[in-house]
Amino acid sequence: MTFSILASGNPLDHVIQHAIKTTPVDLESKWGLFGWVLAPEGEITILSDHITMIIVAGILLTLFLPMLVGKRRGSDEIGSMVPSGFANLLETICQYLRKEVAEPALQQHTDRFIKYIWSVFFFVLSMNLLGLLPIPAISALFGTHIGGAATGNIYTTATLSILTMMMMVLNGLRLGGMHYIAHFCPGPLWLAPLLVPVEIIGLCAKIFALSVRLFANMMAGHILLAVLVGFILSAWSSMGSTGGLIIAVPVVLASVAITMLELFVAFLQAYIFTFLTTLFIGMCVVFHHDDHDESHAAAH
Amino acid sequence: MAKVIVFMVASLVMSSVALASGGEGGTANPFAGDVGNAIWTLVIFFLVVIVLGKFAWGPILSALQKREDFITDSLASAKKDRTDAEARLAEYTTKLDEARAEATALVDEGRRDAEVLKKKIEEDAKTEADKMLDRAKREIGLATDTAIKDLYDLSGKLAVGIASKIIRKELDGQQHNRLIAESIDELTASQKN
Repeated sequence: MTFSILASGNPLDHVIQHAIKTTPVDLESKWGLFGWVLAPEGEITILSDHITMIIVAGILLTLFLPMLVGKRRGSDEIGSMVPSGFANLLETICQYLRKEVAEPALQQHTDRFIKYIWSVFFFVLSMNLLGLLPIPAISALFGTHIGGAATGNIYTTATLSILTMMMMVLNGLRLGGMHYIAHFCPGPLWLAPLLVPVEIIGLCAKIFALSVRLFANMMAGHILLAVLVGFILSAWSSMGSTGGLIIAVPVVLASVAITMLELFVAFLQAYIFTFLTTLFIGMCVVFHHDDHDESHAAAH
Repeated sequence: MAKVIVFMVASLVMSSVALASGGEGGTANPFAGDVGNAIWTLVIFFLVVIVLGKFAWGPILSALQKREDFITDSLASAKKDRTDAEARLAEYTTKLDEARAEATALVDEGRRDAEVLKKKIEEDAKTEADKMLDRAKREIGLATDTAIKDLYDLSGKLAVGIASKIIRKELDGQQHNRLIAESIDELTASQKN
């Protein structure tokens, strides 16, 4: 990152997406605002540094996880139930997400959605962690710009959030049926014109917050690192090589500390994204009829 | 040192201003991206869900479920075994107590029977001994009576014989003594016989 920072004065340059190949489109004139949202620059990115990292994350996950899952203590009845090596870590994470995150929210539907939930967690986590690797600095040496945190891209996080919304609505309708539709009007029917739009806005706000939370957290950490390293360049240009070296010491120490924090944030944000996705889906597919009945009975 | 701190704060402020204005030349947009990112995310994520769902999550989920079932079954089985063992222990304890009571009863009964038998044997023996004693006494009395009778008969005969001899011959004093001695000898001889 240092080399690339030295090459540019704006730390944001090293965090945002850099397109490698694009194709021009004019969606704005066809679909108006929606078209502009889809392609604000009047082009669609075919390949970029962020897209590369999404592909790398996908390849690493699909290659290594199935291989690591198969590590078992033995092949007999007992041995096949006991994980060994890395499979221990994997199963611990999976079991934690299943028992502590998914089951309280999804209850009887836990195993129906758990594969999606595990996929979300590991997909977001791998993109977050890959964003911490100094791949952009290395690729800059070869004149390319690959790497960066793919989750530091609002389009990536928004896509995952919209998938969460689709999971909420579709499964709400499929499993909840009328209960789910009724959930859009929690008050008396005459308040429906007011409540239904509020509930729909609430649903969109949840999804918007979900995407922005991940995007902002991942981007903020990387901007902070870029700004810290940028101090060296600024000091070098204003105070000479001695000033640059003096500044470099605290900057490197702070960068290490921030990177440690980033490592934690990578796990935390993956967890939060997964947790909220689970919670939102759970709100749409699990209905506590008994509680309602009891409260109605008490009211009568 | 103060200069360094001032410089760092100034740099931070400058960087923030640069970020807020979209960077130098206004080219850096933090929201950079387009639907291309979304499509790639969608495609890769679906692939991840499908591939991992089949080759990673499937085996993990089945292993977790299998292990859960195994643990539940093992615990249930252990609990059942424990309950069974406790029931069997109670059953055996009862049986043991019963057996002990039965054994004690048997020993007591045996002892009682032995006592009764002992008493009966003693009584029988005593009765038999008494009978034998009575018979012996009777026999002795009978023998005594017979002997006395025999003695009386013999004495009578002797007396008759002596008297007849006295009558038939005249006896002197020496003969008289001899006769008496003979009679006594005859009496002794007859008693020995």
